[in-house]
Amino acid sequence: MKRRGRGIACMWYPIGFTVAANPSAAVVKVNEDGTATLLTGTVETGQGSLTVLAQIVAQELGIATDDVHVVSADTDTTPMDTGAIASRTTYVTGNAARLAAEKAKLILFEVAAPLLGVKPSQLEVSDHKVHVQGFPQRSIHIGDVSEHARGVNGQPPIGSASFNPATVALDPETGQGKPFATYVYATQIAEVDVDDETGEVDVLRIVASHDCGTPINPMLVEGQVEGGISMGVGFALEEEILFTPDGRQINPNLTNYIMPTSLDMPKIEVDIVDSYDPTGPFGAKGVGEPTCVSTAAAILNAIHDAVGVRVTQLPATAERVYAAIKAKRAQEAKLITAG
Amino acid sequence: MDTKKAVKDAPVTTLAATEELLRAPAAAPLVPLPLEVLVPEARQQTPAVRQRAQRPDCRLHGLGQTKYIDDMYLPGMLYAKIKRAGVASARIISIDTREAEAMPGVVAVVTGKDVPCNTFGPSLKDQPVLADSRVFHAGDGVAAVAAITEQIAADAIEKIKVEYEILKPVLDPLESLKLETPGLHAPNPNIYGRKIIKKGDVEKGFAESDHIFEGSYRTQMVEHVPLEPHSSLATWDANGRVTIYSTLGRITLGRADVARTLAMPMSRVRIIATIVGGNFGGKNEITTEPVVALLAKKTGRPVKCTFTRPEEFISSTTRHPLIMDYKTGVTSQGKILARKIRLVLDGGAYCSWSETTLGKACILSAGPYNIDNLLAEAYVVYTNKTMTGAMRGFGAPQVCFAYESHMDDMAKALKIDPLEMRLRNVLEEGSLSPTSQKLHSVVIRESLLQAAERFGWNGNGAQA
Repeated sequence: MKRRGRGIACMWYPIGFTVAANPSAAVVKVNEDGTATLLTGTVETGQGSLTVLAQIVAQELGIATDDVHVVSADTDTTPMDTGAIASRTTYVTGNAARLAAEKAKLILFEVAAPLLGVKPSQLEVSDHKVHVQGFPQRSIHIGDVSEHARGVNGQPPIGSASFNPATVALDPETGQGKPFATYVYATQIAEVDVDDETGEVDVLRIVASHDCGTPINPMLVEGQVEGGISMGVGFALEEEILFTPDGRQINPNLTNYIMPTSLDMPKIEVDIVDSYDPTGPFGAKGVGEPTCVSTAAAILNAIHDAVGVRVTQLPATAERVYAAIKAKRAQEAKLITAG
Repeated sequence: MDTKKAVKDAPVTTLAATEELLRAPAAAPLVPLPLEVLVPEARQQTPAVRQRAQRPDCRLHGLGQTKYIDDMYLPGMLYAKIKRAGVASARIISIDTREAEAMPGVVAVVTGKDVPCNTFGPSLKDQPVLADSRVFHAGDGVAAVAAITEQIAADAIEKIKVEYEILKPVLDPLESLKLETPGLHAPNPNIYGRKIIKKGDVEKGFAESDHIFEGSYRTQMVEHVPLEPHSSLATWDANGRVTIYSTLGRITLGRADVARTLAMPMSRVRIIATIVGGNFGGKNEITTEPVVALLAKKTGRPVKCTFTRPEEFISSTTRHPLIMDYKTGVTSQGKILARKIRLVLDGGAYCSWSETTLGKACILSAGPYNIDNLLAEAYVVYTNKTMTGAMRGFGAPQVCFAYESHMDDMAKALKIDPLEMRLRNVLEEGSLSPTSQKLHSVVIRESLLQAAERFGWNGNGAQA
């Protein structure tokens, strides 16, 4: 008989390396037509980080995402970056990109200030224009400022910057210190059906509430959460590398190493927690790794809720779940007999 | 590209030449490119932050125009395959490559002895590019072949004869933990990393607790399984400068590793990361890069190597299996007073990113909870299994499975709703972490309540 259960699991996860320096550098060039180019040494590995970086640069310069072209991942042309690891790109590379864009923007302000008859500190950008704070009509198009900067002032608006998260080394005896600059938090709740005659688990629904600071691109956050959950489902129920007694893998292929397919995926509902981190670019933290952290725990708690057994070894395959159900029944029968 | 010339230069059979001809045009399918691209509105709006802006690469993916390394072809390019040890622990007595070298279509063979500096690793430099004297796991590479087709290269590695003195492998991390001498990976000790977090007085906390709960949990080894396997393509110019197209997710450090293993100045190494078809932590260190660079240097032709799916499993990094023991003291109201944790990480054959995984697992193992008295100890040990390394979450999914299973067991015993049990213990703004770091922008309570509301979690979740 199929039994329904629900399970909750929450988690915390840090952004960036543990204590060790993990800097990123970036270069931003504002073109003469008001578009911009970002140079970054990070790598697009499918998560959409280059789009997030473009949005950060665009926001700092008051232009649109599509106005920013990102050049990435070439050691000859792009600046140093610690890379696509440790959920650090939005926070660390994002901060570097924002700072580089800010430096280019300050050049634009110096050029525009005398044209608008104010001090550079009285200027701001929005909607493709450099304008006087509080007087949006007193403005010049950012492309015209950039062209003036190059052609008249001889000072092309190019900014470069680097960023490294602030950490404090851990005491070797007690482990006390500040290993990370910031952390994110999340909760996932799973609903499952467990067949108590076969041990088979069907994950029906997962509700995920994730903190990433400001979501620079909510669609990409949702994509990360959905992908993380698929990895979590495999970790919880199916995936396992098995070894022969002499240490060779038994199942190094996708026929015998079972992963969830799209047909195995539960209904996923994603919420982004309202949050702002003042140390991140526009309040952003990160989202990559944390999305797969609490899924297995939530599913295992739901199995426990459904059939009353605690599976303490992953993956909770049908065999393992059924063995636990059988052991529980035997235990209960023994208690009845004893009573 | 001059495919015909490349084929003419190839010192081989008609069959192989046909295969190469077939292969080259397939890498660049002709699709009419859109000249007027409709830019989605979300990409054109200001302010840019919080826009649901589409990625510019999604059009390329949709049209099948994204160039992965497997789609790349350079004139005269050769294909490399790496011979895997197939034994978990052994001394290499000899490697005989003569028969492979004599095969038609094979252009070059390299072994560990051809690698100028045959060690690398992100913290401990304990990993060879190609094993030359000692095999530490079955997926170790022992030799590599460059041939005019992938099939010839695959056939050639079968002809390489390696004589081993087979040693008894250690597969159980708890056995490795107990082993004193000789070291499993001398001169490094079996326990090659340890971490301790001490906060408050854990024994005093247990003494003050109404209830003590214990639990033990284990997790398995899993693979990242990116859609695109590890791949790289190396080509040298006449000035002795090498360009490597690679699936690496971290090119700055990748270049440092390549320069080190090839004993070359960094300025003569160029790494270009192509669009990567999934990383998840598995593409954070060099694999095939120095091998293709050496083969390309030896042959004077571009060389490409792409992992097969089995290689992806046996020769790339995997997720650390963990053995986790928890002991927690709570009040009758469900407030956690003390927690003691021991973690043993199966570190596999090489250190790789174990130090990072060890640190993160240990720091995060207490969970997102306020615990004044904490003692967490973590150890990572060598075994003769596939190397474990960086994988999405660095130990966090493992410890989360443990601390959250443990939490529900305590909630059930205390007859407290699991959500309520968590709300009574979660970190708050300004809370001190296990390392006594004052935390900011803490929203775990908000996250729990938001998820509970969305799910429709009505109390009374405490099952008798």
